[in-house]
Amino acid sequence: MTKELEHSFVELLEKHQNIIHKVCRLYTYNYDAHNDLFQEITIQLWKAYPKFRGDAKFSTWMYRVGLNTAITLYRKSKRRISTQDFDDVQFKISAEEYDDTEEQQLKLLYNAVKQLNDIEKALVFLYLEDKNYREISETMGISEVNARVKMNRVKTKLRTILNP
Amino acid sequence: MDELELLKKDWKKGEDSFPKLSYNEIYKMILKKSSSIVKWIFIISILEFVFWVAISFALKYSGYSDDIPNVESNTAFIILSVISYGVLAYFFYRFYINYRTINTTDSATTLMENILKTRRTVKQYVGFNLIVIVVSVGVLLPYFMNQDPQTQTIIENATANGELLKFYAGIIIVTLLMLAVAIGVLLLFYWLIYGILLKRLNKNYRELKKLEV
Repeated sequence: MTKELEHSFVELLEKHQNIIHKVCRLYTYNYDAHNDLFQEITIQLWKAYPKFRGDAKFSTWMYRVGLNTAITLYRKSKRRISTQDFDDVQFKISAEEYDDTEEQQLKLLYNAVKQLNDIEKALVFLYLEDKNYREISETMGISEVNARVKMNRVKTKLRTILNP
Repeated sequence: MDELELLKKDWKKGEDSFPKLSYNEIYKMILKKSSSIVKWIFIISILEFVFWVAISFALKYSGYSDDIPNVESNTAFIILSVISYGVLAYFFYRFYINYRTINTTDSATTLMENILKTRRTVKQYVGFNLIVIVVSVGVLLPYFMNQDPQTQTIIENATANGELLKFYAGIIIVTLLMLAVAIGVLLLFYWLIYGILLKRLNKNYRELKKLEV
Protein backbone atom coordinates (compact mmCIF):
# COMPACT_ATOMS: atom_id res chain seq x y z
CA MET A 1 0.00 0.00 0.00
CA THR A 2 2.79 2.40 0.98
CA LYS A 3 4.74 1.48 -2.15
CA GLU A 4 1.67 2.18 -4.29
CA LEU A 5 1.18 5.50 -2.56
CA GLU A 6 4.84 6.40 -3.01
CA HIS A 7 4.72 5.48 -6.66
CA SER A 8 1.59 7.49 -7.44
CA PHE A 9 2.92 10.48 -5.50
CA VAL A 10 6.36 10.55 -7.13
CA GLU A 11 4.80 10.15 -10.57
CA LEU A 12 2.40 13.06 -9.99
CA LEU A 13 5.14 15.22 -8.57
CA GLU A 14 7.50 14.47 -11.42
CA LYS A 15 4.80 15.64 -13.81
CA HIS A 16 3.98 18.83 -11.87
CA GLN A 17 7.43 19.67 -10.50
CA ASN A 18 7.55 23.01 -12.27
CA ILE A 19 5.09 24.44 -9.73
CA ILE A 20 7.63 23.81 -6.95
CA HIS A 21 10.47 25.18 -9.06
CA LYS A 22 8.48 28.37 -9.60
CA VAL A 23 7.83 28.82 -5.86
CA CYS A 24 11.55 28.29 -5.23
CA ARG A 25 12.42 30.78 -7.95
CA LEU A 26 10.48 33.51 -6.14
CA TYR A 27 11.61 32.76 -2.61
CA THR A 28 15.25 31.80 -3.00
CA TYR A 29 18.28 33.52 -4.40
CA ASN A 30 20.76 30.78 -5.21
CA TYR A 31 20.95 27.17 -6.37
CA ASP A 32 21.53 25.60 -2.96
CA ALA A 33 18.62 27.44 -1.37
CA HIS A 34 16.45 26.55 -4.38
CA ASN A 35 17.24 22.86 -3.95
CA ASP A 36 16.78 23.05 -0.20
CA LEU A 37 13.32 24.62 -0.45
CA PHE A 38 12.39 22.23 -3.26
CA GLN A 39 13.21 19.32 -0.98
CA GLU A 40 11.26 20.73 1.98
CA ILE A 41 8.17 21.36 -0.17
CA THR A 42 8.43 17.81 -1.55
CA ILE A 43 8.61 16.39 2.00
CA GLN A 44 5.62 18.48 3.12
CA LEU A 45 3.63 17.39 0.06
CA TRP A 46 4.48 13.77 0.74
CA LYS A 47 3.48 14.09 4.41
CA ALA A 48 0.15 15.62 3.41
CA TYR A 49 -0.43 13.24 0.49
CA PRO A 50 -2.39 10.57 2.40
CA LYS A 51 -4.97 13.27 3.11
CA PHE A 52 -5.16 14.23 -0.56
CA ARG A 53 -8.48 12.89 -1.71
CA GLY A 54 -8.36 13.87 -5.30
CA ASP A 55 -11.42 16.09 -5.01
CA ALA A 56 -9.04 18.99 -5.55
CA LYS A 57 -6.68 19.05 -8.49
CA PHE A 58 -3.21 17.84 -7.53
CA SER A 59 -1.69 21.01 -8.96
CA THR A 60 -4.08 23.29 -6.99
CA TRP A 61 -3.18 21.39 -3.86
CA MET A 62 0.54 21.80 -4.67
CA TYR A 63 0.20 25.57 -4.88
CA ARG A 64 -1.19 25.68 -1.37
CA VAL A 65 1.33 23.36 0.28
CA GLY A 66 4.19 24.90 -1.72
CA LEU A 67 3.37 28.45 -0.68
CA ASN A 68 2.64 27.45 2.92
CA THR A 69 6.03 25.80 3.12
CA ALA A 70 7.80 28.79 1.57
CA ILE A 71 6.16 31.49 3.71
CA THR A 72 5.49 29.64 6.97
CA LEU A 73 7.22 26.34 7.53
CA TYR A 74 10.56 26.70 5.82
CA ARG A 75 13.60 27.47 7.89
CA LYS A 76 16.33 28.91 5.75
CA SER A 77 19.12 26.38 5.54
CA LYS A 78 22.47 27.19 7.05
CA ARG A 79 24.39 25.39 4.36
CA ARG A 80 24.97 27.91 1.64
CA ILE A 81 27.98 26.91 -0.38
CA SER A 82 27.21 28.63 -3.61
CA THR A 83 26.41 32.31 -3.45
CA GLN A 84 25.81 32.74 -7.14
CA ASP A 85 22.64 34.65 -7.68
CA PHE A 86 20.08 33.49 -10.22
CA ASP A 87 19.44 37.01 -11.37
CA ASP A 88 23.11 37.66 -11.99
CA VAL A 89 23.23 34.64 -14.25
CA GLN A 90 20.07 35.63 -16.04
CA PHE A 91 21.24 39.18 -16.41
CA LYS A 92 24.62 38.19 -17.85
CA ILE A 93 22.96 36.01 -20.46
CA SER A 94 20.42 38.62 -21.36
CA ALA A 95 22.95 41.42 -21.53
CA GLU A 96 25.16 39.42 -23.86
CA GLU A 97 22.48 38.02 -26.10
CA TYR A 98 19.97 40.82 -26.26
CA ASP A 99 19.99 44.49 -26.26
CA ASP A 100 16.30 44.78 -25.89
CA THR A 101 14.48 47.32 -23.79
CA GLU A 102 11.83 44.75 -22.90
CA GLU A 103 14.53 42.41 -21.65
CA GLN A 104 15.95 45.19 -19.51
CA GLN A 105 12.53 46.01 -18.18
CA LEU A 106 11.96 42.37 -17.30
CA LYS A 107 15.24 42.20 -15.44
CA LEU A 108 14.23 45.24 -13.42
CA LEU A 109 10.79 43.73 -12.84
CA TYR A 110 12.21 40.46 -11.48
CA ASN A 111 14.49 42.45 -9.21
CA ALA A 112 11.53 44.52 -8.02
CA VAL A 113 9.50 41.37 -7.25
CA LYS A 114 12.41 40.03 -5.20
CA GLN A 115 12.15 43.15 -3.04
CA LEU A 116 8.52 42.43 -2.11
CA ASN A 117 7.74 40.76 1.20
CA ASP A 118 6.75 37.08 1.48
CA ILE A 119 3.00 37.70 1.31
CA GLU A 120 3.24 40.10 -1.62
CA LYS A 121 5.38 37.58 -3.46
CA ALA A 122 2.73 34.91 -2.84
CA LEU A 123 0.06 37.16 -4.34
CA VAL A 124 2.22 37.94 -7.35
CA PHE A 125 2.98 34.24 -7.77
CA LEU A 126 -0.68 33.26 -7.80
CA TYR A 127 -1.45 36.11 -10.18
CA LEU A 128 1.33 35.02 -12.55
CA GLU A 129 -0.09 31.50 -12.40
CA ASP A 130 -3.45 32.81 -13.67
CA LYS A 131 -5.29 32.17 -10.42
CA ASN A 132 -8.47 34.17 -10.01
CA TYR A 133 -9.19 36.26 -6.91
CA ARG A 134 -11.39 33.58 -5.41
CA GLU A 135 -8.54 31.06 -5.56
CA ILE A 136 -6.05 33.64 -4.30
CA SER A 137 -8.30 34.48 -1.34
CA GLU A 138 -8.82 30.78 -0.52
CA THR A 139 -5.10 29.98 -0.69
CA MET A 140 -4.09 32.93 1.46
CA GLY A 141 -7.06 32.80 3.83
CA ILE A 142 -8.08 36.41 3.25
CA SER A 143 -11.27 37.86 1.80
CA GLU A 144 -11.60 38.31 -1.95
CA VAL A 145 -11.97 42.07 -1.54
CA ASN A 146 -8.75 42.24 0.42
CA ALA A 147 -6.96 40.09 -2.11
CA ARG A 148 -7.92 42.65 -4.78
CA VAL A 149 -6.95 45.61 -2.61
CA LYS A 150 -3.62 44.04 -1.78
CA MET A 151 -2.90 43.15 -5.39
CA ASN A 152 -3.47 46.75 -6.40
CA ARG A 153 -1.10 47.85 -3.64
CA VAL A 154 1.49 45.38 -4.89
CA LYS A 155 1.20 46.82 -8.40
CA THR A 156 1.65 50.33 -7.02
CA LYS A 157 4.61 49.17 -4.94
CA LEU A 158 6.23 47.58 -7.97
CA ARG A 159 5.78 50.81 -9.92
CA THR A 160 7.36 52.76 -7.08
CA ILE A 161 10.33 50.40 -6.94
CA LEU A 162 10.74 50.65 -10.72
CA ASN A 163 10.34 54.44 -10.85
CA PRO A 164 11.60 55.78 -7.54
CA MET B 1 1.33 47.53 -20.62
CA ASP B 2 0.74 46.53 -17.04
CA GLU B 3 4.02 45.50 -15.36
CA LEU B 4 2.60 42.24 -14.10
CA GLU B 5 1.22 41.35 -17.52
CA LEU B 6 4.68 41.75 -19.01
CA LEU B 7 6.07 39.61 -16.24
CA LYS B 8 3.37 36.98 -16.76
CA LYS B 9 4.34 36.65 -20.42
CA ASP B 10 7.94 35.97 -19.49
CA TRP B 11 7.04 33.83 -16.48
CA LYS B 12 5.40 31.25 -18.72
CA LYS B 13 8.42 31.18 -21.05
CA GLY B 14 10.75 30.50 -18.12
CA GLU B 15 9.19 27.12 -17.37
CA ASP B 16 11.51 25.28 -19.74
CA SER B 17 14.60 26.60 -17.99
CA PHE B 18 13.99 24.64 -14.78
CA PRO B 19 15.97 21.48 -14.12
CA LYS B 20 13.91 18.33 -14.64
CA LEU B 21 14.21 16.08 -11.63
CA SER B 22 13.94 12.37 -12.34
CA TYR B 23 11.61 9.90 -10.63
CA ASN B 24 14.50 8.56 -8.55
CA GLU B 25 15.68 11.99 -7.47
CA ILE B 26 12.19 12.85 -6.22
CA TYR B 27 11.84 9.45 -4.57
CA LYS B 28 15.07 10.03 -2.63
CA MET B 29 13.70 13.37 -1.42
CA ILE B 30 10.59 11.90 0.18
CA LEU B 31 12.77 9.63 2.31
CA LYS B 32 14.56 12.61 3.84
CA LYS B 33 13.61 14.28 7.11
CA SER B 34 11.78 17.58 7.24
CA SER B 35 13.41 20.57 8.88
CA SER B 36 10.26 22.67 9.09
CA ILE B 37 9.53 25.02 11.99
CA VAL B 38 6.57 22.81 13.00
CA LYS B 39 8.96 19.98 13.80
CA TRP B 40 11.13 22.32 15.85
CA ILE B 41 8.14 23.79 17.64
CA PHE B 42 7.03 20.27 18.58
CA ILE B 43 10.49 19.34 19.92
CA ILE B 44 10.90 22.59 21.85
CA SER B 45 7.39 22.38 23.32
CA ILE B 46 7.93 18.80 24.50
CA LEU B 47 11.25 19.88 26.05
CA GLU B 48 9.45 22.69 27.85
CA PHE B 49 6.89 20.30 29.32
CA VAL B 50 9.67 17.92 30.36
CA PHE B 51 11.64 20.80 31.87
CA TRP B 52 8.76 21.96 34.06
CA VAL B 53 7.82 18.45 35.14
CA ALA B 54 11.49 17.86 36.02
CA ILE B 55 11.57 21.11 38.02
CA SER B 56 8.48 20.13 39.99
CA PHE B 57 9.95 16.66 40.70
CA ALA B 58 13.28 18.17 41.68
CA LEU B 59 11.56 20.47 44.17
CA LYS B 60 9.36 17.72 45.50
CA TYR B 61 12.15 15.26 46.14
CA SER B 62 14.90 17.69 47.03
CA GLY B 63 16.17 18.12 50.58
CA TYR B 64 13.71 20.96 51.11
CA SER B 65 10.71 18.74 51.51
CA ASP B 66 12.46 16.83 54.33
CA ASP B 67 12.38 20.02 56.34
CA ILE B 68 8.61 20.13 56.23
CA PRO B 69 7.25 17.76 58.84
CA ASN B 70 4.92 15.06 57.44
CA VAL B 71 4.97 16.75 54.08
CA GLU B 72 3.36 13.85 52.22
CA SER B 73 0.40 13.82 54.54
CA ASN B 74 0.02 17.54 54.38
CA THR B 75 -3.40 17.96 52.80
CA ALA B 76 -2.54 21.27 51.21
CA PHE B 77 0.52 19.75 49.59
CA ILE B 78 -1.46 16.84 48.15
CA ILE B 79 -4.14 19.18 46.82
CA LEU B 80 -1.47 21.35 45.19
CA SER B 81 0.16 18.29 43.58
CA VAL B 82 -3.16 17.11 42.18
CA ILE B 83 -3.89 20.58 40.84
CA SER B 84 -0.45 20.88 39.22
CA TYR B 85 -0.72 17.48 37.49
CA GLY B 86 -4.28 18.30 36.45
CA VAL B 87 -3.08 21.56 34.96
CA LEU B 88 -0.20 19.77 33.22
CA ALA B 89 -2.60 17.19 31.76
CA TYR B 90 -4.98 19.97 30.63
CA PHE B 91 -2.26 22.01 28.91
CA PHE B 92 -0.66 18.96 27.36
CA TYR B 93 -4.02 17.81 25.99
CA ARG B 94 -4.67 21.25 24.53
CA PHE B 95 -1.17 21.38 23.09
CA TYR B 96 -1.65 17.97 21.45
CA ILE B 97 -5.06 18.90 20.02
CA ASN B 98 -3.71 22.19 18.66
CA TYR B 99 -0.66 20.47 17.23
CA ARG B 100 -2.85 17.94 15.45
CA THR B 101 -4.80 20.73 13.76
CA ILE B 102 -1.66 22.08 12.05
CA ASN B 103 -2.26 21.19 8.45
CA THR B 104 -0.18 22.34 5.49
CA THR B 105 -3.18 22.08 3.21
CA ASP B 106 -5.05 24.81 5.09
CA SER B 107 -4.98 28.41 3.91
CA ALA B 108 -1.88 30.40 4.84
CA THR B 109 -3.75 32.37 7.53
CA THR B 110 -5.31 29.29 9.15
CA LEU B 111 -1.99 27.45 9.14
CA MET B 112 -0.24 30.37 10.82
CA GLU B 113 -3.03 30.76 13.38
CA ASN B 114 -2.87 27.08 14.29
CA ILE B 115 0.89 27.20 14.74
CA LEU B 116 0.62 30.31 16.90
CA LYS B 117 -2.20 28.73 18.92
CA THR B 118 -0.02 25.68 19.62
CA ARG B 119 2.80 27.92 20.84
CA ARG B 120 0.38 29.98 22.92
CA THR B 121 -0.72 26.87 24.84
CA VAL B 122 2.87 26.12 25.84
CA LYS B 123 3.47 29.77 26.69
CA GLN B 124 0.41 29.74 28.97
CA TYR B 125 1.72 26.63 30.70
CA VAL B 126 5.07 28.32 31.28
CA GLY B 127 3.25 31.42 32.53
CA PHE B 128 1.22 29.28 34.92
CA ASN B 129 4.42 27.71 36.27
CA LEU B 130 6.03 31.09 36.76
CA ILE B 131 3.03 32.28 38.76
CA VAL B 132 3.14 29.09 40.83
CA ILE B 133 6.84 29.64 41.53
CA VAL B 134 6.34 33.26 42.59
CA VAL B 135 3.36 32.36 44.82
CA SER B 136 5.17 29.33 46.27
CA VAL B 137 8.20 31.39 47.15
CA GLY B 138 5.93 33.98 48.77
CA VAL B 139 4.13 31.32 50.83
CA LEU B 140 6.96 28.90 51.56
CA LEU B 141 9.68 31.35 52.44
CA PRO B 142 7.98 32.65 55.63
CA TYR B 143 7.03 29.04 56.43
CA PHE B 144 10.64 27.85 56.21
CA MET B 145 11.84 30.81 58.17
CA ASN B 146 9.44 29.98 60.98
CA GLN B 147 10.33 26.29 60.97
CA ASP B 148 14.09 26.45 60.56
CA PRO B 149 15.85 26.67 64.01
CA GLN B 150 18.96 28.23 62.43
CA THR B 151 16.93 31.02 60.84
CA GLN B 152 15.11 31.53 64.12
CA THR B 153 18.45 32.07 65.91
CA ILE B 154 19.51 34.57 63.25
CA ILE B 155 16.18 36.41 63.62
CA GLU B 156 16.58 36.50 67.39
CA ASN B 157 20.14 37.88 67.05
CA ALA B 158 18.96 40.44 64.51
CA THR B 159 16.13 41.51 66.84
CA ALA B 160 18.62 41.89 69.70
CA ASN B 161 20.88 44.07 67.53
CA GLY B 162 17.94 46.10 66.26
CA GLU B 163 18.62 44.90 62.69
CA LEU B 164 15.43 42.97 62.09
CA LEU B 165 14.24 45.36 59.38
CA LYS B 166 17.61 45.14 57.65
CA PHE B 167 17.46 41.33 57.83
CA TYR B 168 13.98 41.13 56.27
CA ALA B 169 14.88 43.71 53.65
CA GLY B 170 17.95 41.63 52.74
CA ILE B 171 15.91 38.44 52.44
CA ILE B 172 13.28 40.13 50.26
CA ILE B 173 15.87 41.75 47.98
CA VAL B 174 17.84 38.50 47.54
CA THR B 175 14.63 36.56 46.82
CA LEU B 176 13.43 39.13 44.31
CA LEU B 177 16.83 39.18 42.62
CA MET B 178 16.88 35.39 42.32
CA LEU B 179 13.36 35.38 40.89
CA ALA B 180 14.29 38.17 38.47
CA VAL B 181 17.35 36.24 37.27
CA ALA B 182 15.31 33.03 36.81
CA ILE B 183 12.56 34.86 34.92
CA GLY B 184 15.17 36.80 32.94
CA VAL B 185 16.81 33.58 31.79
CA LEU B 186 13.42 32.23 30.71
CA LEU B 187 12.57 35.43 28.84
CA LEU B 188 15.93 35.26 27.07
CA PHE B 189 15.18 31.69 26.10
CA TYR B 190 11.82 32.83 24.69
CA TRP B 191 13.33 35.76 22.89
CA LEU B 192 15.77 33.37 21.23
CA ILE B 193 13.05 30.87 20.28
CA TYR B 194 10.89 33.57 18.79
CA GLY B 195 13.84 35.29 17.19
CA ILE B 196 14.95 32.14 15.45
CA LEU B 197 11.76 30.25 14.78
CA LEU B 198 8.78 32.52 14.66
CA LYS B 199 10.06 35.90 13.52
CA ARG B 200 9.22 35.24 9.89
CA LEU B 201 5.89 33.63 10.71
CA ASN B 202 4.84 36.50 12.97
CA LYS B 203 5.85 39.06 10.36
CA ASN B 204 3.89 37.28 7.63
CA TYR B 205 0.91 36.77 9.91
CA ARG B 206 0.81 40.48 10.73
CA GLU B 207 1.05 41.26 7.03
CA LEU B 208 -1.92 39.01 6.26
CA LYS B 209 -3.94 40.39 9.17
CA LYS B 210 -3.15 43.95 8.11
CA LEU B 211 -5.27 43.33 5.04
CA GLU B 212 -8.26 42.44 7.12
CA VAL B 213 -8.42 45.87 8.80
